[in-house]
Amino acid sequence: MLNIFDLKKNYGDTEVLKNITIRIDDGEVVCIIGPSGSGKSTFLRCLNLLEVPTSGKIYYNGSILDEDLDSKRMRREVGMVFQKFNLFPMFTVLKNIMYAPIHVKKMKKKDAEILAHSLLKKVGLDNKANAYPMQLSGGQQQRVAIARALAMQPKLLLFDEPTSALDPELVGEVLNVMRDLKKDGMSMVVVTHEMGFARDVSDRVVFMDKGYIVEEGCPADIFNHPKEERTQRFLNRVLGGM
Amino acid sequence: MDNLLSQLHFATVGQYLVPSLIDGVGIVLEATFFGFILATIVGVFIAVGRLFGWKPIKIFLYVFLEIIRGTPLLVQLVYIYYVVPLIINLLAGMLGYKTDMQIAPLTAGIAGLAINYGCYMSEVVRAGIIAVDKGQMEAALVLGFGKYEALFRIVMPQALRSIIPSLGNYLVMMIKDTSLLAYVAVNELLLRTQTYASQTFYTIEAYSYLAIAYLILSVPLSHCVKFIEYKLSSSSR
Repeated sequence: MLNIFDLKKNYGDTEVLKNITIRIDDGEVVCIIGPSGSGKSTFLRCLNLLEVPTSGKIYYNGSILDEDLDSKRMRREVGMVFQKFNLFPMFTVLKNIMYAPIHVKKMKKKDAEILAHSLLKKVGLDNKANAYPMQLSGGQQQRVAIARALAMQPKLLLFDEPTSALDPELVGEVLNVMRDLKKDGMSMVVVTHEMGFARDVSDRVVFMDKGYIVEEGCPADIFNHPKEERTQRFLNRVLGGM
Repeated sequence: MDNLLSQLHFATVGQYLVPSLIDGVGIVLEATFFGFILATIVGVFIAVGRLFGWKPIKIFLYVFLEIIRGTPLLVQLVYIYYVVPLIINLLAGMLGYKTDMQIAPLTAGIAGLAINYGCYMSEVVRAGIIAVDKGQMEAALVLGFGKYEALFRIVMPQALRSIIPSLGNYLVMMIKDTSLLAYVAVNELLLRTQTYASQTFYTIEAYSYLAIAYLILSVPLSHCVKFIEYKLSSSSR
């Protein structure tokens, strides 16, 4: 689905991403973990060109992004969920979800409404259709944001620390929605600090540090037998309390 | 006090000047209405161009802005009315065409107001756009909207909340600045008063009426603007 080849990103003189090469397959859930400032979010934002890479190539289903395929077309098929939800505050929940299908996909309003309601049901918020984002808790807002991304019927979803801005007791409801997506076979790339989620849900875990991919593998290997010393140190620190 | 008033002729002057001023109000409102709409369009274009435009366009707009903000509105009005037609005629003459282009006074006045105010208002629009959380633009982009679609569908409506009150103040300023149009032969309030006063020498009375006419126009308008500002700040958030 995605083939990333020798990706680099500099901000001025600082290299944030150094020679990242990785493949994301159809139906795969990949979690990216690592310390703050390791470049995980920047990497994720390069995948749909919210950040423009300094060099390197991104192949999306065989076409080179920004050469064969412009980012606008790609983003119709690749959704994204942000740390701070970024719902549109002037629209109701329902309109937040219907807006892109209607205006980008030119879906009929009636069809978009049916779709929006079914997605709200899926994330357990059908009763909040007419609420405004400000009236919802963080966890509810994030679930609406996921429904909004799903409304474009994406083939791949990118999650940028989807639970980092949430109160601890609200994290679970968002992770549960993401678990359901995995069951539905959705391809996902998730930047997260939720090690439990990474271990239980992902097919592959990628550990990043200082702009490099230090280690990647299936969750059991990464969490139980990390090969690299840096991975071990990081996991000891974050899992120390568990 | 009795003595002073007895030497002035407000009633006589009012009889002729007030109807003339009322006639002139139409021109003031016309200049302000079109001037303000065009200025808003100019302001949005400059703001968007400076934020999202191609590099040479950004530089051009910046230089243009400096020129307009560095010269007085009165000079710009005179320039548009007297100088621009001369330049066009001169250029046309060099190309072998004989032209005698002129700009109608009111057209020149509206153009001057639109350009001058547009430049100042562009800063308000720009600040309003910047003040909207960057995540809003990104959220629209990742849903498949283009840059300008995202800007006008998602970001602009949110920016308006902070933009509208400031633009309202420019509207009140503009209605008063239409008095400068007298210098490019627009028969608005100041020119009417000047003409009358110079013929009759009722200078005190004439200009007092003029000042009152502007008060009547601007005070209610500025209160309307305040009311809108209040409404916008109290509705949601």
